[in-house]
Amino acid sequence: MTKTLNDIPQHIVALYKAHPVCSSIRRQPKVFGDTSNFTSIDYGDVIVADNRYFVVTGHTVEGRFGVDDQPKQWVPKVVDLESGVSHILKLVFHEVFSVSVGSFTIPCYRSPEKEARILELTEDHPRFMKGKAVEDEAGNLVRILDIISGRRLDKHIYRHDCSHQEYFTAYLPAILKEYLECARAISFLHQAGFRHGDIRRDHILVEYDTGTFRWIDFDYEFYLPERPFALDLLELGNLLMYLVARGNYPPKKIVDDPGLGQKVLDTIVPDDLSLLSRNRVVNLQKLFPYIPDAMNNIFMHFSQGASVWYDTVDELVADVEQVTASL
Amino acid sequence: MADWHKILVAVDDSSLSERVLHYVGEVVGGIDKAAICLLHVYPEPPPYYFTEKHTLQEYREEKEAAARQVFNRAGQVLAGHAIGESRISTICLMATGKTFSKSILQVQKEGDFGTVVLGKRGISKAEEFLFGSVSNAVIRECHDFTVWVVS
Ligand SMILES: Nc1ncnc2c1ncn2[C@@H]1O[C@H](COP(=O)(O)OP(=O)(O)O)[C@@H](O)[C@H]1O
Ligand SMILES: [Mg+2]
Repeated sequence: MTKTLNDIPQHIVALYKAHPVCSSIRRQPKVFGDTSNFTSIDYGDVIVADNRYFVVTGHTVEGRFGVDDQPKQWVPKVVDLESGVSHILKLVFHEVFSVSVGSFTIPCYRSPEKEARILELTEDHPRFMKGKAVEDEAGNLVRILDIISGRRLDKHIYRHDCSHQEYFTAYLPAILKEYLECARAISFLHQAGFRHGDIRRDHILVEYDTGTFRWIDFDYEFYLPERPFALDLLELGNLLMYLVARGNYPPKKIVDDPGLGQKVLDTIVPDDLSLLSRNRVVNLQKLFPYIPDAMNNIFMHFSQGASVWYDTVDELVADVEQVTASL
Repeated sequence: MADWHKILVAVDDSSLSERVLHYVGEVVGGIDKAAICLLHVYPEPPPYYFTEKHTLQEYREEKEAAARQVFNRAGQVLAGHAIGESRISTICLMATGKTFSKSILQVQKEGDFGTVVLGKRGISKAEEFLFGSVSNAVIRECHDFTVWVVS
């Protein structure tokens, strides 16, 4: 049976009535101790978890790049009525889907348990989001996340309106230092037997006040028994190249770029492309000749022409460390 | 170095496995000392398996039944090369918390097999990066035994 404000303590109701959300909804708010049916939880409703009362103030959105931002109904933004602190909740959503990696598809699913265990493991680690996982009254593992006040990494790197070369010399070294810390953090996960599972440029947030890069979103899990960490490693490589080039460089973008154009594209051979995707140039030195050889060599480990790969994140980290030290 | 006549052959239901067995049969069929252990390793259930209300028990029974079929078929192939049942043993196990290659290496070590025989599918570099190659991983780790890779 759906609960209402009548089912919760008086002092909480008073706090609810005093919250701005209360004056902007025109219906009776619902109260959810059981979050199984997350699609029926709307703006202004109350979620009870961890003996706390959270009023829903919105939903997070996340654009699949190029697709319109979709509200995520299982990731509401909330305020803890008693403390007044904002949080993001992640509710249980058992979704099984496949991710495409190059021409392959990998079955993937969401694991609230995995995210909860990583939150626990990384409780004192500055490179991961913080939060607490608790069971709601129906036993669903609700993750109560502290909100990182920061900017998505992919937005962060476009803050300065400058040429690529200026970006490369003036801003990239500091960015790579933070990247390295995040890569080490992934190695820490791997050593504990976990993988991040969804390494993307918008799953690192850059704190506004400290500039610290931090990982979010740990619930993706997949099934790669022989090479359990290869996907994280591949995506860390892609992220590194994205940061260095300040964007991804598919052949079409090279042609359209007035500074590069057909002339540069003509120099690209199959071995310059990503091992997993022909739509991604990894020999970035051909686009930006001031990229040093040692750095470009790191990228070439991810190319179709590669004869050796990185087997572990630590190997990648060691090379990036060396290169950044001499920038 | 372990006795090479103790031969561990990793098999599945593929036609490649059948070719592997023919090869082994032709090479060692006439050598009475050669004993063959057929090994079938199967993966842990994908974690979403349990969300669909299945049990681990069910999963293992299904996989072990499939392994018996693989072993039967393998026995027939080897019989064609004059290798009788007395020279064949079998092991079926789940790769629990480890990779296929590590599971094979563990069986090799525990059984002190001097020869390990594997098939190698032709896979692309990309596939190998993402999904790995059992034969390459075993070769990389082999120090005191012999590996035959049949392609
Ligand atoms: N700890 C956090 N701090 C700030 N924003 C977050 C945090 N966790 C998630 N978000 C925001 O919510 C969005 C969706 O959360 P996410 O964990 O990525 O969910 P999903 O697993 O559904 O992708 C993120 O893209 C981000 O914008
Ligand atoms: Mg996400």
